[in-house]
Amino acid sequence: MRLVRLALQMLVDVPFKSLGTLLGVFVSSFLMLQEMSTLEGLLMRVSAAPDTANVDVWIGSAATESIGATDSVPASRVGAAAGTPGVAWAAPIVLGSGRVTRPDGVRECVSVLGVQAPRYAGLPGKLAAGTTRAALRGSARIFLNDNDRPSFGHAQVGDRIEINGHAGVVSGFFEGMDPHAPCFYIYTNIDEARSMTGFSEDRVTFVALGLKPGARFEDVKSRLSARIPDVTIFSRKELHDAEIRYFLVRTPAGVFFGVGVAVAALVGGLFVAVTLYSMVIDRTRDYGMLKAVGAKSGDLMRLLLIQAWTFAIAGYLIGVTGFLIMRGVVVSLRMAITPQILVSVALVSLVTCTLASLAAVRRVLTLDPALVFRG
Amino acid sequence: MNPVVLEAINVGKIYGNGDLQVHALHPTSIEIRRREVLVIMGPSGSGKTTLLSILGLVLAPTEGEVRLDGQVVTKAKADVLAQLRRDKVGFIFQQFNLLSGLSAIDNVAIPLLLRGTGARERSERARRVLGLVSMSDKTNVKARKLSVGQQQRVAIARALVADAGVLLCDEPTASLDGTSGRAVLDTLQTLARSENRAVVIVTHDDRVLRIADRLIYVEDGQVREQPHLKQPNTGAIQ
Repeated sequence: MRLVRLALQMLVDVPFKSLGTLLGVFVSSFLMLQEMSTLEGLLMRVSAAPDTANVDVWIGSAATESIGATDSVPASRVGAAAGTPGVAWAAPIVLGSGRVTRPDGVRECVSVLGVQAPRYAGLPGKLAAGTTRAALRGSARIFLNDNDRPSFGHAQVGDRIEINGHAGVVSGFFEGMDPHAPCFYIYTNIDEARSMTGFSEDRVTFVALGLKPGARFEDVKSRLSARIPDVTIFSRKELHDAEIRYFLVRTPAGVFFGVGVAVAALVGGLFVAVTLYSMVIDRTRDYGMLKAVGAKSGDLMRLLLIQAWTFAIAGYLIGVTGFLIMRGVVVSLRMAITPQILVSVALVSLVTCTLASLAAVRRVLTLDPALVFRG
Repeated sequence: MNPVVLEAINVGKIYGNGDLQVHALHPTSIEIRRREVLVIMGPSGSGKTTLLSILGLVLAPTEGEVRLDGQVVTKAKADVLAQLRRDKVGFIFQQFNLLSGLSAIDNVAIPLLLRGTGARERSERARRVLGLVSMSDKTNVKARKLSVGQQQRVAIARALVADAGVLLCDEPTASLDGTSGRAVLDTLQTLARSENRAVVIVTHDDRVLRIADRLIYVEDGQVREQPHLKQPNTGAIQ
């Protein structure tokens, strides 16, 4: 601590270089936060189906990788699951696909999810204002993703949309989901889904279960496995993880955002490395003097590390402030900030700045103190 | 006779090796005693600075040994040498080497800061030595705003603040006008006499001879002591 003031005074003494370095760390932290929170926002929406649907256990085919990448199971599994000790209720979900016709005549792929009244298990938990679950009751009723409204001519309740030659009537909107498939997602009641997509009457895509109070997932899973062979049984968390894993592996998003974070960290590190090194070169005589008058290697190392950490902490704090302001202004980017992201970016900034100071530290430690006697 | 505080025994320095060897300093022995002012003179490139660097423990001799307060320090590790310099040797550099953005008092307190002395004691001691060099009214002025003479006095204060027994001065008057130079020399002489320190001055400046107790002349790495240079303390060269 005794060297903090001296370290800071040495930074203040070269204001332009210090501000430049601070700017570098600020930009770096800001970009890391932006990349990570954008990805986090995306992942939250990608996993919104298992996260927000009021379902404790999902049973899918043995080959299930995610909600969108699965096969079907016999409909009889619903009854078998319902009779398993620890299960409060069981409901079918079907997922079919087809083509939807946009108002401009363009046809695109659509995933049609059918859920069963009255529980509507599997329906996203977040419905747009004015939309109720009951609105799915009735013939040809569909819920559109609120994000997709512009693609359907800013669809309103009551609009008609053609799916696989069947007319669907928009009866509400759901929010908070960005499926990772390139297709639109539409929710409807299970009969309509079968009808629209030609889904077999004796098959379902998932069996959704609710557990009785106090029932442990692992116990119920064991019983279900014994009763229902050749299926995959997911807890809500496991399906959440599967959705994210599938998204990161099957899309370039993980690599894209990962590279973004790495580049941002590198930019910050380079700024600090170049500036600290150049500051040491500029102040060779000062460091030589410090060595001559008795500074030990540890003192000099601490001096430079304090400077590097000052850049890391100050740049990070300014970066967070700037990011939060930007996030508040540009709401449409739907970035999600979590304590884990804040801590991660702080640690990356700290580690990057520490590593960036090593060249400067090495330069100072190998400095010949006798240089102060040269004219 | 005053006690020996710093001693070089057959110290020599060779740079390079093979055909490129340069004898910067031929083996030589020197004793430096408390209360005396030793002046080292010689032409540029003669080996004065090499000798001063070896005496100041910032340069390891190729041969021979250096003793500080009777302790052989030649083979000590870098951090031990740093500690010895910090606690027992004060340096006054030709170019002052003050941290320009720091105030006079902060510059002076650096050796104490490195030693881990508490803030209050640092401040008190730094103020005291700034008073000794008549800089009490400039304690909070940044070094870059001080005149050359004032900067040199701050550098002297920095060399004094840790109560080092030895002051090594490299051309302390080179950048100073006559008045400032005389003031600095008077201060150094007073420090030797009144504060029981050994003062070693490397210089080209003949004005320094007036405070010299002994003169060493260095040429081509060879050291010669000038006997009977003057009567102690009279300042009169004979």
